[in-house]
Amino acid sequence: MIDNLLTALSLLSSWKLMLTIAICSAYGLFVGAVPGLTATMAAALLVPFTFFMEPLAALVAIVTMEAMAIFAGDIPAALVRIPGTPSSAAYTQDSYELTKQGKAELVLGVDVMTSAIGGLMGAVVLMTSAPLLAEVALMFTSFEYFWLAALGLSATVMIASVSPLKAGLALLVGLFFSTVGLDITLGYPRFTFGSTELLNGVDFIPAMIGLFGVSEILRNMASAHLKYPITSVKAEQIFRGVAETLWKYKMNMVRAGAIGTFIGILPGAGADIAAWIAYAAAKRFSKEPGLYGKGAIEPIVDAGTANNACLAGDWVPALVFGIPGDSITAIVIGVLFMKGLRPGPMIFQQQPELIYAVYISFIIANILMVPFGYLAIKVSGTMLKVPRNILMPAILMFCVVGSFAINNSLFDVGLMLAMGILGYFFEANGIPVAPIVLGMVLGPIVEQNFMVSMIKTQWDLTQFFTRPASAILAFLTILTWLAPLIPTLVARMRRNAVSA
Amino acid sequence: MKISDTVVGAGFVGAGALIFAATLNFPALEGGHPGPSLFPRILASLMVGFGGLLSIQGMRSRDTTDEVDWLRLYKNPSFINATFVLAGVLAYIFLVEWLGFLVMGALVIFIIMWRLKVHPLKALVVAIVFNTLVHFLFAKILRVPLSLGILWW
Repeated sequence: MIDNLLTALSLLSSWKLMLTIAICSAYGLFVGAVPGLTATMAAALLVPFTFFMEPLAALVAIVTMEAMAIFAGDIPAALVRIPGTPSSAAYTQDSYELTKQGKAELVLGVDVMTSAIGGLMGAVVLMTSAPLLAEVALMFTSFEYFWLAALGLSATVMIASVSPLKAGLALLVGLFFSTVGLDITLGYPRFTFGSTELLNGVDFIPAMIGLFGVSEILRNMASAHLKYPITSVKAEQIFRGVAETLWKYKMNMVRAGAIGTFIGILPGAGADIAAWIAYAAAKRFSKEPGLYGKGAIEPIVDAGTANNACLAGDWVPALVFGIPGDSITAIVIGVLFMKGLRPGPMIFQQQPELIYAVYISFIIANILMVPFGYLAIKVSGTMLKVPRNILMPAILMFCVVGSFAINNSLFDVGLMLAMGILGYFFEANGIPVAPIVLGMVLGPIVEQNFMVSMIKTQWDLTQFFTRPASAILAFLTILTWLAPLIPTLVARMRRNAVSA
Repeated sequence: MKISDTVVGAGFVGAGALIFAATLNFPALEGGHPGPSLFPRILASLMVGFGGLLSIQGMRSRDTTDEVDWLRLYKNPSFINATFVLAGVLAYIFLVEWLGFLVMGALVIFIIMWRLKVHPLKALVVAIVFNTLVHFLFAKILRVPLSLGILWW
């Protein structure tokens, strides 16, 4: 372990990686602080660059960028009442109310410190749980992987913050995209319409750039010329009173860190859901629930800790099983495949230094968040004033060139555009886009493991339920499907008990 | 572009049916076991089921979503802005080989900025400078073969 840590540290100490961390920190902070640009969009736009990087640099770039972006989303939430990313939405109202009371500095100070502490808590869980789970995962066969992916698909639908029905439809669309191209049993071309470009399937990267980049641009076009009033802030004072506040709510941070990390480990649930659940838990146990929504600092501590703790949690299933925890880790899995690496338990044995470097980069990113966050708050006025009617066309050109750069193909630019339109249409109708990406990643895992299992057992379905680990995962999957019915069943049982 | 859940659900039912129909001529495995068609058929069936449920939900909740006024859509500024983006990317796809990235990229950026009310001179300068930077980054540093087109020299 010590050897691996030292190797990872020596790998990370190169000036190129330090430069990557610094650039990605600035990039993440900028994207997070500009309303309308999300961390997922930033990750999708980063992918064409990671194509030209070493695997380690690519992973470090994404880790750093996402940690910074999720924090930076708090800045416009406090200063202009618009969350920079969906992860800050839960406590935007409280942040802005406190800003109106002249406490913008305290809010931003608490934001940066809880983000860093939450991120570090998540990193500790990642470092301790991932190797243990990887040991267990070594015993898994195609049956367990099938159920694990099925569990991931089910959780994606059931944990969705919008309608599970709509999330399910989005997931089915993603799963359908994963079937395009040569199938794994006979090599038969499915849904290719004679196109040679589609024989290898729907390319993941242009699809993501379209779904998260172009669709965001289309959405932002309606308000691209708008300007918002920005509250000015004295960055030098942001740490004043923060220590007392954090000490007062220390147990809240522990609880929120645990909630955030747990939500992160669940496939399909990201930082936004973690923040909402931590907010709800904080209100449930608060001594002053009446203040929530009117300018309470407590929910900012809780939800601000949870959304950053969630990020490292998301990496646990991604690294250990190849099952993404959220849309960003779905992108990470795509990047690993692009680099010829297969996420799963074997990566812990074959390239432990890479895994340790990911752990350390989480720690570095969250420590750097404090000084970088301070600088971002200092220049927040300038960042928020960047005219979006100049920014959006510029981002569009990055999307176009980024999609082209992977295969040097204009077909991919067309694919990106089609996905952008689809993403825009879906979002406009309340259908979430993230399940499409999760479906595209999990689809081949489900199909491949199911078909392999069926062929090797000569179509004996009982094998999926007779192996102990497989049976447990099957039980959990079915439990996830039945979860929405449980409250109704419990209520009915209570009624029956009372009437009896 | 928000349309009613009833219509969206019906769209998914139609898409599911089309996917299912497309799998009818997929080959089977030895012994008649389903092969390439199995997974898409399951997905298509679920899509029909979920889409149907969404439609029913939309009808039951008496979904009052404003119907899109297709005849007046051309007057909607958001729609026009989005159309500029779509037309810009399509024009890029069809013309970039001929005109080259430096010309076509700058043109697309300029036209969209102009549409978004950026002063034409400012838009022109930003488009040329930004596009040249993108070209330098991708073509010179990352070695992506961006077309030079008419600026081949």
